[in-house]
Amino acid sequence: MALACVAMEAIETRGLTKDYGARRRALRSSHASTPPALADLDIAVHAGEIFGFLGPNGAGKSTTIRLLLGFLHPTAGGATVLGRDIGHDSVGIRREIGYLPGGIAFWDGLTGERVLDELAALSGRPSVLRATLLDRLELSAATLRRPVRDYSRGMRQKVGIIQALQHDPELAILDEPSEGLDPLMQHAFYEILDERRAAGRTIFFSSHVLSEVERVCDRVAIVRAGRLVALEDVHSLLARRKRDVELRTDGPLPELAAVPGLSELHTWPDGHLSARLEGDVGPFLAAIASAHVTDLTIEPARLEDAFLELYQPA
Amino acid sequence: MNGALFMHLWRANRGRLLVVSLALLGWGTVLPIIYDAFGAQFRQLFESGAIPSQFAEFGGGDIFSLSGSVAVGFIHPIAVSLSLVFAVGFAAAAIAGERQRGTLEVLLSRPVSRRVIYGTMAVATALFVATTTGALTLGALLGATLTDRTAELGAGNLPLLWLNGVLLFGAFGAVSLAASASFDRLTPAVGVALAFVLGSYFLEVLGSLWPDAAGLRPYSLFHYLDAQADLAGLPAGRDFAVLGAVIAAAVAYALVVFPRRDLAAPA
Repeated sequence: MALACVAMEAIETRGLTKDYGARRRALRSSHASTPPALADLDIAVHAGEIFGFLGPNGAGKSTTIRLLLGFLHPTAGGATVLGRDIGHDSVGIRREIGYLPGGIAFWDGLTGERVLDELAALSGRPSVLRATLLDRLELSAATLRRPVRDYSRGMRQKVGIIQALQHDPELAILDEPSEGLDPLMQHAFYEILDERRAAGRTIFFSSHVLSEVERVCDRVAIVRAGRLVALEDVHSLLARRKRDVELRTDGPLPELAAVPGLSELHTWPDGHLSARLEGDVGPFLAAIASAHVTDLTIEPARLEDAFLELYQPA
Repeated sequence: MNGALFMHLWRANRGRLLVVSLALLGWGTVLPIIYDAFGAQFRQLFESGAIPSQFAEFGGGDIFSLSGSVAVGFIHPIAVSLSLVFAVGFAAAAIAGERQRGTLEVLLSRPVSRRVIYGTMAVATALFVATTTGALTLGALLGATLTDRTAELGAGNLPLLWLNGVLLFGAFGAVSLAASASFDRLTPAVGVALAFVLGSYFLEVLGSLWPDAAGLRPYSLFHYLDAQADLAGLPAGRDFAVLGAVIAAAVAYALVVFPRRDLAAPA
């Protein structure tokens, strides 16, 4: 008999809800409608992927992370992290993960090295990746010997990233991880994430920086006002985006009305055309093949557009 | 109890602990020396009527003995203030201070339960309080030795005085730590803890100096530090039981409340 092999999800939430006002309303028998911080969240983060979690301030990103870590208690629903229930095995979950809080704070009187040592001791796991991470993020031994109070925002963030990843966790939960990093360090950080994914580790990644989510994430979830509004593969999300097309010809414009996915078509007598294109570009390129094209611009699909579209008022 | 967290707390506080302990050791040493040098003059001063006799009631009612002087020294504002550096200062800041700074986030992201974090901070509070009270007690012994009054002090019973002192300041520490576990900001935690201590001190002083208010004294935790009885080898079991009960109630409260609290993102 063949053995059925079911891959465990790194994170799985089922109707996860957090309503800060529920208890207060129940005590007052009030029905005042304060929206929950998080409502009926159903997501599954696959093992070995980088999962982006997007939303503006107050959308429910931090609430979700804090529920997963056991800092908050759900009003309804539940979740598992690495197969462990958040309500019953919070300590076990935290044994397996690494966490970078947004705007991380340290004990300012300690040196960077002491901070990393003490946090490693609290984790109870050896810091197998520390030397590599220090090298990649260019944190020197001399810097680590200085008190954290003397560190810049970017240096603190590097220490934060290292403390979250130094013990090679199965799952890293990173809240705004590239905040404060310069472009070179951001690039180094993205490479670190790629390597962790290649090593089979899972990254849950909350960010406002859509370009970096687009750069590093396999799938994204977008939350708005505590509710999930999109959960999709990044490439699929981008493939469905309408892209701006600009075409200039030296001669008559080709007939494009029948091209699938083309909309908002505007033409000018001087051989200039603008339109929006959704989906495959093949039929469009075939349609303009006979024209004498002098210039063609097809804007790349951007996650930012998808994000803004989802956030437009209904 | 988490060893790594305990070592973190120890390293962060050992310098302050040394300074406070040395100050209390010095204060404790001075008490028998002052008694030896000025005890007779104090008695004459009180007997002359220049100072109201009620002032002689403070701290156990017998300031004209060495043990009575030591008893007053234990609840003198200097000794109380120094002892509260850890009983209130450390304990009230232990959780609320970490929360306000944002460092509780990194602590709680480790595989350590909130009960273990609380338990480790409670053990550290108890150890620091035991050390500072020990320094004060040791100072009294040192002063008695320097003035050759060891037998008069009842030095063999000093461990009882130390235990009574540890229970008193331990009770303040337990209440402060419970306040710390209840708030997200340092100010309300310290405020509640200080209000409890100052209210307790006020009731004891008022009850000692004003006979009509003597009925308020049992409501003060300072009332349950009976240094003279301890040094006489006749400690009141009720005093130890009351202080122990306050500690147990504060610990039970914190162990229930802290793990159940929602810890929203720091502002």
